[in-house]
Amino acid sequence: MKKFLATSFLLIISCFLFAQEKVEMADELRSSGKIYVVVGVLVTIMVGIILFLIMIDRKVSDIEKKLKNKA
Amino acid sequence: MKKNWWKILCALFLVYVIVAGFLSDVPHLPILHETIRNQYFHVCMWFAMITLLTTSLIFSVRYLSNPKMNNDIIASEAARTGIFFGTLGLITGSIWARFTWGAWWTNDVKLNGAAITMLTYLAYLVLRNAITDEQKRGKVSAVYNIFAYVMMLVFILIYPRMSDSLHPGNGGNPAFSKYDLDSTMRMVFYPAVIGWTLLGVWIMTLRIRIQKIKLQTEL
Amino acid sequence: MFKELSALIQKEILLEWRQRYALGGMFLYVVATVFVCFLSFKNVIDANAWNALFWIIILFASINASAKSFLQESRGRLLYYYTLSSPQAFILSKTIYNAILMLILSVICFAFYSLFMGNMVENMPLFILIIILGSIGISSLLTMISAIASKANNNFTIMAILAFPIIMPILITIIKLSQNAIDGTDFSYNLKYFSVLFSLDIIVVILSYLLFPYLWKD
Repeated sequence: MKKFLATSFLLIISCFLFAQEKVEMADELRSSGKIYVVVGVLVTIMVGIILFLIMIDRKVSDIEKKLKNKA
Repeated sequence: MKKNWWKILCALFLVYVIVAGFLSDVPHLPILHETIRNQYFHVCMWFAMITLLTTSLIFSVRYLSNPKMNNDIIASEAARTGIFFGTLGLITGSIWARFTWGAWWTNDVKLNGAAITMLTYLAYLVLRNAITDEQKRGKVSAVYNIFAYVMMLVFILIYPRMSDSLHPGNGGNPAFSKYDLDSTMRMVFYPAVIGWTLLGVWIMTLRIRIQKIKLQTEL
Repeated sequence: MFKELSALIQKEILLEWRQRYALGGMFLYVVATVFVCFLSFKNVIDANAWNALFWIIILFASINASAKSFLQESRGRLLYYYTLSSPQAFILSKTIYNAILMLILSVICFAFYSLFMGNMVENMPLFILIIILGSIGISSLLTMISAIASKANNNFTIMAILAFPIIMPILITIIKLSQNAIDGTDFSYNLKYFSVLFSLDIIVVILSYLLFPYLWKD
């Protein structure tokens, strides 16, 4: 009985400790506001890629139109 | 402009995904930590790949029933773009695995399935290049494409259910099962899937149009 | 249909019998490979390696055996078949013939393999069932791949490139199953793997039946 009590006590303690364990996240980056720099860079890259795609798309449409007129 | 509404949707979704993907709240999970945000990027590569390869399959079937050059071009360009997204998925997955599971490559069913899919479609491209006659090339590669897609489907759908995997949903891993993927993550994840898939489709249509122009100018 | 099929299979057997050296070559290939493995491994291998090695030998033997089923046919002879039979009967006859050939080949391979490397299988009936289903699956898939490769300039390298990724689902299921047979697990436990292997066999045969007609005419 004593053993059982001791084990269950330890188990409860360990569960408790596990729940308390803090999962480390990049909170510092967020609190210092530096994360916005990263987001800004990535948004720039994404917008750049999309603009680039739009340009290619237009060029292709242009060539298609010219071919159509020729034919 | 009316025809291009989905391109605008794609651009808006992707910008939204990058902003919200980094700034929104995510569940605090051990091992994963902040890398859980990779779900908005890495996982979407696979969605884009599957969509493109399925497009390729559909047009291969259509080529067999109606052997028009058009169908063959779409099938092959969809497969090529699919391979591109698959490669990105493999590389990003490898990086993610290194920092969560501890190795660049693990003997995991999903990784192996992805690698085999890549090998299959690379073989499809080799087969295409080996045949010079256009009619014959279209037909033979369409047959191989259908064969390969069905076997790949079996591998991806059935096999992971037969064994443990490090991926979420298999073998009790501390990751986002459907209970962990909470509502805020969903708000970003679904637009991310749609956005990246649309980007893949956009690139595919560009390649198809260029290929058609090539065909036209050679004639 | 049935008559056509049996006539075509008889033709295959007759042709093979006329070129007995090719048949002998295949058997010699298997035996020689087993012997090479025996010499290089010095029979100190565990069950895992034993299993993998066996199926790799089978796989390569099967590629050798199936590759010639289409690569060997001359263009003139194919045209002749075209006038005589339907494509469905043709591919089914090739598949059945290759399956029979592969079955004989793998039984011989297993006999020699257990002679040299020792027999580690605990559940023998299960293992034999795996050999039967496995060689049917591998050979029918390779027959179809050989038909595809024959359209690409009869290239043997193409055949290997096309075959390896596609054969993986079947091969991995087989290796998993035979691992269980070696460990001596019960049949009922392996039922789900068997159903996967069986359905893979069926899928391959149905796909070749449906798709081969498109390869037929050109």
